[in-house]
Amino acid sequence: MADAAVRTAPVPAEAAEFPGVSIALGAPLARWSLRARDPKALAKAIGHKVPGTIGETLGGMACLGPDEWLLRLPEGASIPLGEGLPLSVVDISERAVTLVLDGDRAIDALSAGCPRDLSKFPVGYATRTIFETVEIVLIRESETRWSVDVWRSFAPYLWTALTTAASHLR
Amino acid sequence: MILIHCPYCDDIRPELEFAYAGEAHIARPADPSALSDAEWEKYLFIRANPRGRHNERWRHVHGCGRFFNAVRDTVTDKFELTYKAGEPRK
Repeated sequence: MADAAVRTAPVPAEAAEFPGVSIALGAPLARWSLRARDPKALAKAIGHKVPGTIGETLGGMACLGPDEWLLRLPEGASIPLGEGLPLSVVDISERAVTLVLDGDRAIDALSAGCPRDLSKFPVGYATRTIFETVEIVLIRESETRWSVDVWRSFAPYLWTALTTAASHLR
Repeated sequence: MILIHCPYCDDIRPELEFAYAGEAHIARPADPSALSDAEWEKYLFIRANPRGRHNERWRHVHGCGRFFNAVRDTVTDKFELTYKAGEPRK
């Protein structure tokens, strides 16, 4: 019996192309959920500054809550576990997949299901929010490029919702 | 859509990101085993249910995840203000 874990993609491997926006499955990432009451303990553990205000991102790290950070690094990366420090480091790499929306109309496809006013969403900002009924972590990587982290089991639904919204763009 | 100010994010977010979590400022009894059945009933089930200004708990569940308190008018559904958990009743 094979003991190697096999990763299967929950959405089509080929990007879906629409006028003004493409929707594609992002490359697998290493993800950590980092919790600490004191950001200084976290900075000490991982060896660099952590973003201090909710929504801010710094070096692949997004501040999601007053004591919660999401760190996304290329697959295979590792971070110190901060033994002895008052914090929690949880590997959640396989919990989520990333959908990448790229193009001028990406904002319109996302606005079809996300209640946030995305026109006021700054580049480099990241937040947990909701798309239709699915919780997502939305990251604006550039003016036209957005990353959507979604729990793996919700990904087929989100894919259908986003591609349907994109197909209706005029 | 109602927009709610989250005191932790210090930002105004759409109502869909939030979940209602009951009346605020209901302290758990310090010594539960000393309570009579009537006192337990009061703690567990009896709520103010006012018509008008209501202190209540909300959770920014699809955001920062934090519980906070809000003052909302139950007639108009208008949020008067929100404040962090642990702060005194406003």
